[in-house]
Amino acid sequence: MPHFFFNKKLILLLIGMVFLVALISFSLRERTNATLPEQIIKDTVGVAQSIVAKPANYITGVINNIDSLLNTYEENKRLKARLDEYAAVQAEASDLKSDIKKFQELMDKSESLKAYDPIHATVIARNPDQWEEKIILDKGSSHGVEKNMAVMTAKGLVGKVTLVTPFTSEVELLYTNNPNYRVSAMVQGDKQAYGLIEGYDKERNELIMKRIDSRVTVKKGQQVVSSGLGGIFPKNVPIGEITEVSTDDHGLTKMAYVKPSADISILDYVVIAKRSATTIDGSDGNTSNEDLTHPQKGKEEAE
Amino acid sequence: MVRFLIPAVAVLLFLVEPEFAMFSPIEVKGQIFYLVPRFLILYLIFISIYYSRQRAVMYGLFFGVLYDVFYIDIIGLYSVLFPLICFLAGSIVKVIHQHLVVTTTISVVLVAILEFILYQFFYLIDFTTIPLSDFLRSRLLPTIIANALFLMILGWAFKYLINARVLQRAREVS
Repeated sequence: MPHFFFNKKLILLLIGMVFLVALISFSLRERTNATLPEQIIKDTVGVAQSIVAKPANYITGVINNIDSLLNTYEENKRLKARLDEYAAVQAEASDLKSDIKKFQELMDKSESLKAYDPIHATVIARNPDQWEEKIILDKGSSHGVEKNMAVMTAKGLVGKVTLVTPFTSEVELLYTNNPNYRVSAMVQGDKQAYGLIEGYDKERNELIMKRIDSRVTVKKGQQVVSSGLGGIFPKNVPIGEITEVSTDDHGLTKMAYVKPSADISILDYVVIAKRSATTIDGSDGNTSNEDLTHPQKGKEEAE
Repeated sequence: MVRFLIPAVAVLLFLVEPEFAMFSPIEVKGQIFYLVPRFLILYLIFISIYYSRQRAVMYGLFFGVLYDVFYIDIIGLYSVLFPLICFLAGSIVKVIHQHLVVTTTISVVLVAILEFILYQFFYLIDFTTIPLSDFLRSRLLPTIIANALFLMILGWAFKYLINARVLQRAREVS
């Protein structure tokens, strides 16, 4: 046995293993903020990354432009057909807007859940190994970005900010596996139905909206938007369109599959929405990956 | 000049990887395929094979730490796997022939091993729930194909660059 202890390499290896396990478990633990060395590395790499991202974004932009150029004729036809509707809709919209303003003055209520300050950001990187659905933006806390803000494109919601350093921020996309990632949503219609976007179906590539009141009729083709009731996201950010409705696991509520309106596979420019109304620190289960939806299942697996 | 080119290419590949990752996942006939760019580790494997194992392990450690901190937020994952893969590559090369075709194959196999270890790790900590068969079909296979293509296009350039450095060093010594 004494020979064993003189084997320096083996001892080093053992110490290394212990250190490694400690490091991994430290970093897997839920941390609300990055440590200082991490922040320094993140910001330095982030700056270099945003320099590289510029030409890359330019090239993808050119490719997209060519792509849309090829579809111009078809698109033009469709747009012309809708142009007539547009004038009528716009007239109605301005009428409604002035109505809303009048009512708000009457009610003395200026704060709306819909209002937000946009912060424009460029996507500088996407997690290359793609196990976690994460993107990194070039705006950070020095630009006013805070944790839990909604991130969206012109087409719709894509995710929320999970980690902020002075010059970068990390966004967890809606396509995540995290069971505690929930967005309070509502189905637009004559009678609004509220529910939660909970999870993502990998096979169908669609979001799952759960906990919809079973007395409200929800149909295929209806639009789903954020409700703003979760306390984090602004109201009326489009999320997607319902493709299928069925009953929940327990048969008490309805669930629906929602096809996301934003194309999450290629993202280059996004808007971070800083909600004007009061926000709450909406973290559930300490934003860990622990499954709160099926607590007993998690326990069984652990045993 | 060549001296600084070797780390410079590594830095460039590190920064270019996530830009390529933005094209993924791709959808073909309703099937989703994930292409994971592994350019940096392929380059490091080449350094390990043609230049110096020790140097490759050092680079692997450095970029592994950057990778962990910047993208993954789990420190100690890539910072171990990268040097380990480089070490393996450097050890294997002692027993085999250093032809470009052979080294390309070995590199791709090592990347597949890396990908598989990562899958096992993320499965263990519940970050992913996809079954093994899905992983093989939608991730491992497309990733292997994409990286093999990349290496076929740029492998000779890596070899050329590294050989230039080896020659330069030999001249400095003599």
